[in-house]
Amino acid sequence: MSVLLLRLAGPLQSWGASSRFARRGTEVAPTKSGVIGLLAAAKGLRRTEPLTELLGLEFGVRLDQPGQLLRDFQTARSLDGRQSAPLTYRFYLSDAAFLAAVSGERELLHGLAQALARPRFPLYLGRRSCPPAGPISLGVHDDTLDDALTHWPWLAAKWHRRKLASTVRLEIIRDVRPGEPVTETVPDEPISFDPAHRQHTWRTVLRRHVDMTNDLAERAGVNGHDPLSLLGG
Amino acid sequence: MSRTIIDVYALQTVPPSNLNRDDTGSPKTAVYGGHRRARVSSQAWKRAIRLAFAGLLDRSQLGERTKRVGESLATRIKELDPSISDEAASALAAEAFVAGGLAKAEKKKGEVKDVESGYLLFLSHRQLDNLAAAALEAARDGSTLDRARFKALVNTEHSVDVAMFGRMVADMADINVDAACQVSHAISVHAVDNEFDYFTAVDDRKADAAETGAGMIGTIEFNSSTLYRYATVDVDALHRTLGDASATRAAVEAFLTAFARSMPTGKQNTFAHRTLPDAVLVRLRDTQPINLVGAFETPIRETHAAGRIELAAAELAKHTVAVETAYGERPVGSWVTQVGEKTAVLADLGKAVSFSELVSGVGEQVTTALGQPA
Repeated sequence: MSVLLLRLAGPLQSWGASSRFARRGTEVAPTKSGVIGLLAAAKGLRRTEPLTELLGLEFGVRLDQPGQLLRDFQTARSLDGRQSAPLTYRFYLSDAAFLAAVSGERELLHGLAQALARPRFPLYLGRRSCPPAGPISLGVHDDTLDDALTHWPWLAAKWHRRKLASTVRLEIIRDVRPGEPVTETVPDEPISFDPAHRQHTWRTVLRRHVDMTNDLAERAGVNGHDPLSLLGG
Repeated sequence: MSRTIIDVYALQTVPPSNLNRDDTGSPKTAVYGGHRRARVSSQAWKRAIRLAFAGLLDRSQLGERTKRVGESLATRIKELDPSISDEAASALAAEAFVAGGLAKAEKKKGEVKDVESGYLLFLSHRQLDNLAAAALEAARDGSTLDRARFKALVNTEHSVDVAMFGRMVADMADINVDAACQVSHAISVHAVDNEFDYFTAVDDRKADAAETGAGMIGTIEFNSSTLYRYATVDVDALHRTLGDASATRAAVEAFLTAFARSMPTGKQNTFAHRTLPDAVLVRLRDTQPINLVGAFETPIRETHAAGRIELAAAELAKHTVAVETAYGERPVGSWVTQVGEKTAVLADLGKAVSFSELVSGVGEQVTTALGQPA
């Protein structure tokens, strides 16, 4: 198996899974439908075209720098300013960085990596006003999804790492494989992006963690904090 | 398949101002690099760009975004045939949108009301003119517009603003237009804290009455910032929608001009924040758009020796070279317009020219890239 790794980082991103109407939320991490959509856009697939081979990809993401929730208030007016549309609230993740991975056939992933370097449609992190900071693709690697998400260097910024302890637990959210326990079920398995009948089905995900050594921790020893030891425990 | 992508970067200093505020009246902000930054939403600046288009392009190249589609079409029908009554014109307009499936038929008969779409509908002036002509023609033949003809009319002769910013119609996805440009939220290159201006307003007649005290008091929140602004235009997508190389060039030139010179108007009368960018950098690429915001992930801190803009320009120049070297990216063309010594370091990144030369230089190369003689 091969795996294509992506760095999804920028001042703002927004990954909606179940938003409707005037309140547009974001999940805490990139969604599978969002990332498959991004890959489809890179390849130049129109929304009405079948996603075929992209649907078989296994997806996982590591929350390297979770970011903060930002609520954006938005009004819309006609050009003459006389009439306004309903007020809307949009939610973004600001200051976040994620390592996303898709695994599948090597050939297919190479094609996707090339498409990311020369995308047919402009790419964005969940919403059009959120262009990524810098190029996205970290290349195709001969690795499993799990190993890649566990071993790839931590993408968090230095300022973020300095604030944390010397060992940091990063969350990984990935597709569940047959026989594994399900942590959560979300409406995030894309079938078609056709705007006339957009279709998602339920995606079962598993949450696990990886411990990362943080050599930039400025509060050394925080991790060694074990109050019970005083009690001889 | 060759690609043409225009990346536009601008550094722009704004004085104390509140050009884009949230529902509590505070200037919008976002956290980046662990520090709070001033933010101007992409939507706010896109509106300013659309308004600026009116001074740069002919009306026939622009459109109208409104719910009051019936009123708009009825006016045009009247213009084409002044003999028609107001009611008949409104009825014809309503019929056209009902036939097209974008408005519901009135339940009550009798009084004629202008139909509205349930959402802001973006149509080009030419499309509206064509609809008016077609509706009149159908009425003269004693028939009505059918849905196929309606769709055909709203899917041809797109205006520059519709092509740039896109059109989303949930009820009828096949008349959607994919936006050719992508505008990011502007954020400050440095950390900011919003500040409060406490004000009093004195009643003019109070002096005569020898009264003291203010007529009213209040506070206005504001900040001042040096903004990093970024937008990218997909020239191929623009060309597909407009269908014509010279219209594409005109659209690109108008967009660059409007992007650099426009300004959201929030609290403009209070703060007069009418600045122009300190520097504009344009990179023409044949690969991928590259947002260089990473240059400012570590916020700029001014020193005794150098101010924000000077340090920001240096960071942007350094980061541009670093990213492009790391990924083997080579822009096909590059132009810079910069003001004064402080942003001089950016001039090394491309052809240093005046802004009008920048615009026409990019326009020329767009024409070449689209395979047409300049």
